[in-house]
Amino acid sequence: MNAALTLRERSEAEASRLPPLLARAEHLAGTVLLGDHGRRRSGLGDDFWQYRPAQIGDSRRMIDHRRSARGDQQFVREREWQIAQSVMLWVDQGASMQFASDKSLPTKADRARLLGLSTAILLVRGGERVGLTGTTLPPRRGNAQVIRLAQAWSEDSDTDYTPPEHRAMIPHARAVFISDFLGPLDEVELALTKAADRGVRGVLLQVLDPGEETFPYRGRTIFESVGGSVRHETLKAGDLRDRYLERLAKRKDALTQLCRATGWQLGLHHTGDSAQAALLWLYRALDGGTR
Amino acid sequence: MTVLAGIGFTAPWVLLGLLTLPILWLILRAVPPAPIRRLFPAVTLLLGLKDDESVSDRTPWWLMLLRMLAAAAIIIGLAGPVLNPSRDETGTGPLLLVLDASWAGATRWSSTLDQIDVQLSEAGRAGRTVAILRLTEPETPVFQAAEAWRGRLPGLTPTPWQPTETQIDQALAALDQLDGGFDTHWFSDRVAYGGHDRILAAVQARGAVTVYQSKAPVVAILPAAYQDGVIQLTAQRAVPGPADRITVLAQGRDPAGAMRVLQSAEMEFPGGETLAQVNLALPSELRARITRFEIQGQRSAGAVTLTDDSLRRREVALIAGALNREGLELLSPLHYLTQVLKPTADFVEGGLLEVLPANPDVIVLADVAKLSDGEQAALVEWVEQGGLLLRFAGPRMAASDMGRDAEDTLLPVRLRSGGRSVGGAMSWGEAKGLAPFPENSPFYGLQVPDDVTVTTQVMAQPDPNLADRVIASLSDGTPLVTRKALGLGQVVLFHVTADAEWSSLPLSGLFVEMLDRLAVASAAKSRQEAQLQGTTWEPIQVMDGFGTLSDAGNLGGVEGTELLAGAIGPDLQPGLYESGKQKLALNVLSEDTVLNPLTWPSDVPIKGQEVTNEKPIGGMLLSLALLLLTVDVIASLALSGRLGLAKAAAVALGAVLLVPDVQAQTPEETEFALNATQELVLAHVLTGNAQVDDVARAGMRGLSQTLFYRTSVEPIEPIGVDLERDELAFFPLLYWPITPDQPQPSVEAYAKLNAYLRSGGMILFDTRDADVARFGAASPNGRKLQQLAGPLNIPSLEPVPRDHVLTRAFYLLQDFPGRYAGTEVWVEAAPLDAEQIEGMPFRNLNDNVTPVVIGGNDWASAWAVDRNGQALLPVGRGYAGERQRELANRFGVNLVMHVLTGNYKSDQVHVPALLDRLGQ
Repeated sequence: MNAALTLRERSEAEASRLPPLLARAEHLAGTVLLGDHGRRRSGLGDDFWQYRPAQIGDSRRMIDHRRSARGDQQFVREREWQIAQSVMLWVDQGASMQFASDKSLPTKADRARLLGLSTAILLVRGGERVGLTGTTLPPRRGNAQVIRLAQAWSEDSDTDYTPPEHRAMIPHARAVFISDFLGPLDEVELALTKAADRGVRGVLLQVLDPGEETFPYRGRTIFESVGGSVRHETLKAGDLRDRYLERLAKRKDALTQLCRATGWQLGLHHTGDSAQAALLWLYRALDGGTR
Repeated sequence: MTVLAGIGFTAPWVLLGLLTLPILWLILRAVPPAPIRRLFPAVTLLLGLKDDESVSDRTPWWLMLLRMLAAAAIIIGLAGPVLNPSRDETGTGPLLLVLDASWAGATRWSSTLDQIDVQLSEAGRAGRTVAILRLTEPETPVFQAAEAWRGRLPGLTPTPWQPTETQIDQALAALDQLDGGFDTHWFSDRVAYGGHDRILAAVQARGAVTVYQSKAPVVAILPAAYQDGVIQLTAQRAVPGPADRITVLAQGRDPAGAMRVLQSAEMEFPGGETLAQVNLALPSELRARITRFEIQGQRSAGAVTLTDDSLRRREVALIAGALNREGLELLSPLHYLTQVLKPTADFVEGGLLEVLPANPDVIVLADVAKLSDGEQAALVEWVEQGGLLLRFAGPRMAASDMGRDAEDTLLPVRLRSGGRSVGGAMSWGEAKGLAPFPENSPFYGLQVPDDVTVTTQVMAQPDPNLADRVIASLSDGTPLVTRKALGLGQVVLFHVTADAEWSSLPLSGLFVEMLDRLAVASAAKSRQEAQLQGTTWEPIQVMDGFGTLSDAGNLGGVEGTELLAGAIGPDLQPGLYESGKQKLALNVLSEDTVLNPLTWPSDVPIKGQEVTNEKPIGGMLLSLALLLLTVDVIASLALSGRLGLAKAAAVALGAVLLVPDVQAQTPEETEFALNATQELVLAHVLTGNAQVDDVARAGMRGLSQTLFYRTSVEPIEPIGVDLERDELAFFPLLYWPITPDQPQPSVEAYAKLNAYLRSGGMILFDTRDADVARFGAASPNGRKLQQLAGPLNIPSLEPVPRDHVLTRAFYLLQDFPGRYAGTEVWVEAAPLDAEQIEGMPFRNLNDNVTPVVIGGNDWASAWAVDRNGQALLPVGRGYAGERQRELANRFGVNLVMHVLTGNYKSDQVHVPALLDRLGQ
């Protein structure tokens, strides 16, 4: 009785969380979609792209008679290239993402999911197929997939620093990894090299809290990871600041190196900044990559 | 007490605790602050980072200093520091405090008490027993612990009298009962009284005497005197000193009845003098209101003088020889007198024998020649008792032979037969002006205007004593006004008439001034022993030593002679006394009181009263420590980054401390007012019966819609009004359906309703029972209506007359059906003098909007519509029923129009008449 009740309560709470995330993601995606459509090149597709003079080699049936009848020249109607890509997303669900240094800030996980889902919405609208890395949710198209994604991301993991999922990657697809990348670097390296081996290119988006960038702590402090697996005690937190920042910069450098080696793009986003800018960057990065 | 650097310590050994401070410093230094637990995902990057030093963050030096200061403040505070420690050599043995405790010290009483308090605490520290002896209320002194006296100090008050001889005797007797020797501290008031040397001798025999007396001047005011139309005020000071100014305030009730300062005057004591005087010339109306004079800045009974009857409005009886010329008021011989005296005097009406028992201050006889013997005797007796008889001459007096051969008792002079006439058409001379007033005349100093002329007068026989009795004469030397004393009173004769027939004197302002001078003279009745003989005076209000009046309570009556003797003491307290209708003020000082400074023998040390008080500062230091520790808590939290929690606590604390202003209008009230006033709103009274309320609301909605469609009145959604809670002033019309079980409104609600009706609101009472009952108490609803409307301020009612403006405010209507077309409708009755003008269809009824309309036709049901505008309830049957609903709606429109436009439609009846006059 009691267990069923709590289960139902929890599931309702979970269900209620889904629509706001979806709605916010839709909202965010709506701000980006304006005026930026398609592949912007001629190719196979349904939408009109342009008329061009008929050239040698064009078959007769390609001539657009309606346009050509207006003059002596013959025109061919070109359509915009529309081709579906598979984009695989991975958003860090680890406990380390459940962190916000200030009450007014969203947690990193929240921001990461929002960005991931918004990207998914944009991609679905652009006709792409979207899915998760791994085997749980292979890329599909359609709005239902967005809901499935939202569902998949509504669960938190208790373990710190989950490694990127790199199994079952579709060759030559695109991938988006969103995480704070504060966990073991070799896992990321493994995932990226594996992806590069399969011709998968994509984007790493590092989401960091402003507190992690500035390290505004002083005095005797015990630092603890969110999951509680790692802890470090210091007597003078203020003294650690410079060395910490140095290490953070090194970590970023390592990520940059890794991306350069594998042909991925690396983005950095702080939860204190606007999500829209990050989404824009993310979308452009993906867009540019497809060209 | 140990004194260190000007600060005394009651427990100096506690100061050794200060030595522990350096140890505390070291300990606090050594203990690191507790670690804080923080969640931090990037801890992976921190792993392996070593601290440079093994020593943790130290507590910052300023926080340490704060804590040290707090600790030091606690230690010093516990050591009992005292600022201004008194270093007087205190004696030993019992101590007697002798207080004059008279009115003279009342102004400085609080500082006296402070000093007594200081003495008591000193005596307490020295372990001396203390007794207090008040010379004005002597009791046998009892030596007690000083602390026991301190609680009783507020009960010591000064008395409004100086120590009397009997009290001195009592005090001496009380001193005799004391055993052994004692020191004496004498708090003197600086004003001399008989017998203080005897007391001094008695206490000097027992031990050392020290006198404490303040250097502040003792100032008192003597009773106000009234002479020659001005109030003479005299102030006295006990010790002559350099020139000084004081301000005297005349207090009384203003026309609204509130006590206030009516006038203030400055007085100046010349250097070396003890007396200061000022003359206050006040309008008599103002003068009559004054109840007391007091010296500003003094708070003693001696600085207050009360006024009594002598300033009240005078009672004047006006009696004319001929009063038969009814209606010709300007020709009445008393007209000018009435005009002059009206502002300052009360008139006593009636014949001479009727007014005499009322004992008026002044009796005016205008051209009265003949008095009966009884009248004459009574009048003479009244004058001899102090009355002022003011006579005016006239044709009758001139024609009579009174005062011809012998002097009439009630005439100041003998008169020559016939009088004389000058300046007329048939006479040689010119009209005479007035001569300047002689110095012994009460009119001396008044300006004689040139245009005052006398054409006719009665002439005085030359007599040896004539010259003494003339107080105003004409330019040719003939007497115009004569006066003689008669017993305590006087008789004054104007040799002209009181009207303007014989002279232009009554027309001039001089007449007013002359009467004023004379009437003032009449009011200043001196208190004669003969007058007070055998009377008993009852105290109404008595003064305390501070000059504050309080109810006399159960104090017994006082013999008149005793009152006059004026020996103020516990048996005869200063204040207001009453006997019959007369009032008498008994003041602390009488006219002949002289204040003398108290002189002390040279061997008695005299100290001023101004001392610096000891001030324990231990409490302040402990509070400071608490404050510092609070700062330390906040600072520590801020340092360790936990201030967020502290902020919340501080906000909560602040919220508790700063209680928001409860007088602000609540949001609900504001919202209600906004809703009710953004557009016109019809309202109905909530009865508590949900069905009735719903119908009423629907009815109001239907009426609002009807108004909206048909007229320029565009009400919004109606509001149900709770009489207890809601403000009514926003609504032009209240529909009040009656249910038998609705609660009676509270008194406050009725007050609101009455204010609403007075300010032009209208209530439509609907008993909703016209189908079964007629208007009246026959139905339960009717009875309830009578109960409900009972406390309301409702004028007399009548059934709506055929020409009432309700019948034509918008539609022309003959009857006012609702759901029922039954009884008549009642409105405020038309005034009785409303007459129908010939040829006009309506009466002139330009009065207010009727405040109530009462009926039982259940209008709301007829008006009621649902949200879609469909009629909610059936009315009648078929077409006739719809017609009835239409008429009900029209009645509603007429009603609202009547409320909003008043009797505008009634005014329209004037239009034909106006057009007619304009010649159209």
